[in-house]
Amino acid sequence: MRIDKRRYYHLDWYLIINGLLIFGIGLLNLVSATSSFSSGSYNFMIKQLIAFAMGLVLIVVVMYYDYRIIANHSRWIYLGGISLVVLVLVIGLAAGGAKRWISLFGFSIQPSEFMKPILVIFLANMLYEKKRQNTPLSLKDIAKPLLWTLIPFVLIVKQPDLGTGIVIILVCFAILWYIGLKKSTYAVLFAVGAISPFIAWHYLMKPYQKMRVLSFINIDADPAGFGYHAKQAIIAVGSGRFLGKGFMAGTQHKLQFIPEHHTDFIFTVFSEEWGFIGSVILFALFISFINRCLKIAMNAHDELGAIIAFGIASIIYVQFTINVMMAIHLAPVVGIPLPFISYGGSSLLSMLVSVGLLLNISTRRYMF
Amino acid sequence: MKEENLSSKYKWCTLVLVITMTVLLIRLWDLQIMRGAEMRKLSEQNRIRIKKIVAPRGIIYDRMGKVLADTRPSFNIYLTPEDIRDFSQTVDGLARLIACDREEIIEKMKAASGMPPSFPIKIKSDIPMDEVARVEAHRVYIPGISIQIEPKRNYPYAASFAHVIGYVSEVSDEELKDKKKYKDYSPGDYIGKYGLERAYENDLRGVDGEKRVEVDAIGREVRTLDVIDPIPGNSLHLNLDLDLQLSADKALETRKGAAVALNPKTGGVLVLASRPGFDPNLFASGISKTDWQKIALDKLHPLQNRAIQGGYPPGSTFKILLALRALDLGIINERTTFSCGGGFSYGNRVFKCWKKGGHGSVSVHRAIVESCDVFFYNVGLRLGVDRIHDFGNTLGLGRITGIDLPNEQKGLLPSTEWKKKRYNQPWYEGETVSVAIGQGAVWLTPIQLAMLSSFVAGDGKNYKPQIVNRIVSTEGKVIKAFEPVVNADVKLKPGVLTIVKDGMRGVVNEPGGTAGASKVQNVLMSGKTGTAQAGSDKVRLGDHAWFIAYAPSDDASVAMAILVEHGLHGSSAAAPIAKGITETLFKVKTVIKEAKVNENR
Repeated sequence: MRIDKRRYYHLDWYLIINGLLIFGIGLLNLVSATSSFSSGSYNFMIKQLIAFAMGLVLIVVVMYYDYRIIANHSRWIYLGGISLVVLVLVIGLAAGGAKRWISLFGFSIQPSEFMKPILVIFLANMLYEKKRQNTPLSLKDIAKPLLWTLIPFVLIVKQPDLGTGIVIILVCFAILWYIGLKKSTYAVLFAVGAISPFIAWHYLMKPYQKMRVLSFINIDADPAGFGYHAKQAIIAVGSGRFLGKGFMAGTQHKLQFIPEHHTDFIFTVFSEEWGFIGSVILFALFISFINRCLKIAMNAHDELGAIIAFGIASIIYVQFTINVMMAIHLAPVVGIPLPFISYGGSSLLSMLVSVGLLLNISTRRYMF
Repeated sequence: MKEENLSSKYKWCTLVLVITMTVLLIRLWDLQIMRGAEMRKLSEQNRIRIKKIVAPRGIIYDRMGKVLADTRPSFNIYLTPEDIRDFSQTVDGLARLIACDREEIIEKMKAASGMPPSFPIKIKSDIPMDEVARVEAHRVYIPGISIQIEPKRNYPYAASFAHVIGYVSEVSDEELKDKKKYKDYSPGDYIGKYGLERAYENDLRGVDGEKRVEVDAIGREVRTLDVIDPIPGNSLHLNLDLDLQLSADKALETRKGAAVALNPKTGGVLVLASRPGFDPNLFASGISKTDWQKIALDKLHPLQNRAIQGGYPPGSTFKILLALRALDLGIINERTTFSCGGGFSYGNRVFKCWKKGGHGSVSVHRAIVESCDVFFYNVGLRLGVDRIHDFGNTLGLGRITGIDLPNEQKGLLPSTEWKKKRYNQPWYEGETVSVAIGQGAVWLTPIQLAMLSSFVAGDGKNYKPQIVNRIVSTEGKVIKAFEPVVNADVKLKPGVLTIVKDGMRGVVNEPGGTAGASKVQNVLMSGKTGTAQAGSDKVRLGDHAWFIAYAPSDDASVAMAILVEHGLHGSSAAAPIAKGITETLFKVKTVIKEAKVNENR
């Protein structure tokens, strides 16, 4: 494998260091979050570090091939991603009432996590010509990308994994917006957006999902279930106060008042232990990281790179925002991991592959 | 155009990021700074629970220091409503794991509805080990359920002491409504309901301690923060004697009746047995509905302490009272004789003597020994009912003796005043004739007749019956010692007691004595039999058998009264029980010979 040495000089060290900081904080936080588990935090930390090491290898692999070559093969990658998602429905491992994982070479992986960057590349490859022509998209133009988004969306929601489904849909719309839409297209999308909640409520949502929404609106509607968890999450965050309770000193998660506190609710652990100050720093790191992604998009050599970088920025933004809002009761409870922080190999790998793509795009910004 | 378009997109993005950051920070500020203190408090409340440590109840010992009631560890199931996630999951889940149905659990929860949701409600006491194991194994699926190891009352001799020691049971809803009297009690607490457990509740109970513990989300204790130790209840040392009680109880076991034995020198209660009884252990571990109904609806009234609550005509044992008073007043003397021809005419009625042929000419000694009715008809008429009433009352008959047990009944010793008050009628002399032999309107309890026996044994002095000798703290310090309290101290004319005591010794030890079959080897026992008509004149039930006694005859250390309901003859049914007590007390090894029982009075 020969790597052009010049590219090291163009490596985006800002992005790398910013990402490492977030990951480092996440690893530290994971130690505290899993310390009350019977298997101990060491086990979780090692697994997370293995995923990180595998991710580093993937970054190098992804960077080796020009993103344009990768984009050229995007339909095959997309097809591969979709087959894995279908495979989940066929031979998936069930956990907590949902089939989200498949066992591959001794690892359980969550294909829906990988579907996010794959969809970004796929859509970027499909649409970058339009962007270059700078023609706003008509209704007819968005039909195809929407269809290709709905396929994995339906498959993933069926698992059920509503969180990832929502991320995919939102990222798709973000990309469409980024390319530019006709005014008429905006109008239709807004109209559909306005009535879709009613349709979803009456025809699509499962009772437990409705319960989540209800207990979001009224936290006391279901004090035993989701409302209880939402309340405990707020108490965890609020009890951190200005300086936090200190590393390893959070009681809410340690005494099991918060479910999934090492995955989806991990922000409550961090905020309880590091308080307002710690949370502000973490937010700043995320905003700065997303901002850097946008900068890569802005400076990308071509529209293809720009769309991919923007798509990845929107993945991180959507996940970060919804995850934190859910923890502080500004959004209903949905299973969405906090990038780089939540425990989970697939999520981390998917994130690192995305970083690989970003670095790929940024190092090739001067190439013609 | 392209550049412009793009940079406007990035401006939008920046705006979105700024808005997001602002919204998140405002919310965090609100939660962590504005409401931080409140949230911190909520998280503390979440994890810290105050748990009660039940104080072990005081131990009850007999006079030799043998344990009559103590505590042993038991596993109790508690439910903390605050920790419940899904009501039916926890309640139905628990109902499946232990022998307890859903309704019972809900009933318990209702009873404690006035308590805060963090108050653990006791659902079931003293569960068996297999249920403990099952509940522990399923703890995660039934949040809110916890198992506490707590002291449980244990009565090793079960029914034998049921009526003296009584029992503890969970404090009832009705009691809890009386906020003043039961302010220190909360649902699930044990309280003495009967017997000494009730009379000495405040001494036995102790002071519950508490501990602050950190609990996790399903209510499991993670660690203890601090502890206030409970103060165990004080112990009771009784005057009761285990061996004597068991001897009396065993003899009564298959019958209905009561036995009381007092120490005539102190009033200390050596024996207080009543049958039928019940197993107090059933109450201590939370009696089931069926068990309770079985006991409460039993026609034999096992919950009645016959020794202090049962009123019975005393029959011939009452003659001792008349003899004492008549001799003391000089109405009769040692040599006074009355002729008994087997009957006594008074008014237009003939009162029969139990001996059909009559006793002939009898003096007071023979009248006691052979229990001549006609002799005492004469004595009774000469004394009059009021002098009988007043003297009996002095000794403790027809009134509360003051024994340290709740709900003592006072029985009835009639007088002209009583008849006037009760029926607004004058007393007829003819009624005195019946009263003279302990029939008619006389209703006395076994403890009262023991007082009569004790009065003779104590040479004209008797004491208030006391079961508890002293209250002792766990450190062994005597908190309260009960000194003998004189009940009656009558200066009788010299010689009176000798005459009566000689008569009572004769009852057991002379040929022709009505209790000759109950003579005790090596120890002289004195006594008086009684056979009292039971039921009304129309429906005659089997006679009640009485025996009052004391031993040794010259310097008594035990005075007894035995009653066997429908035992027919004092000599055959009651006297052997007194004999048994005496033999046990003086460790007489009996050569059991089935003597032909003299079916006399």
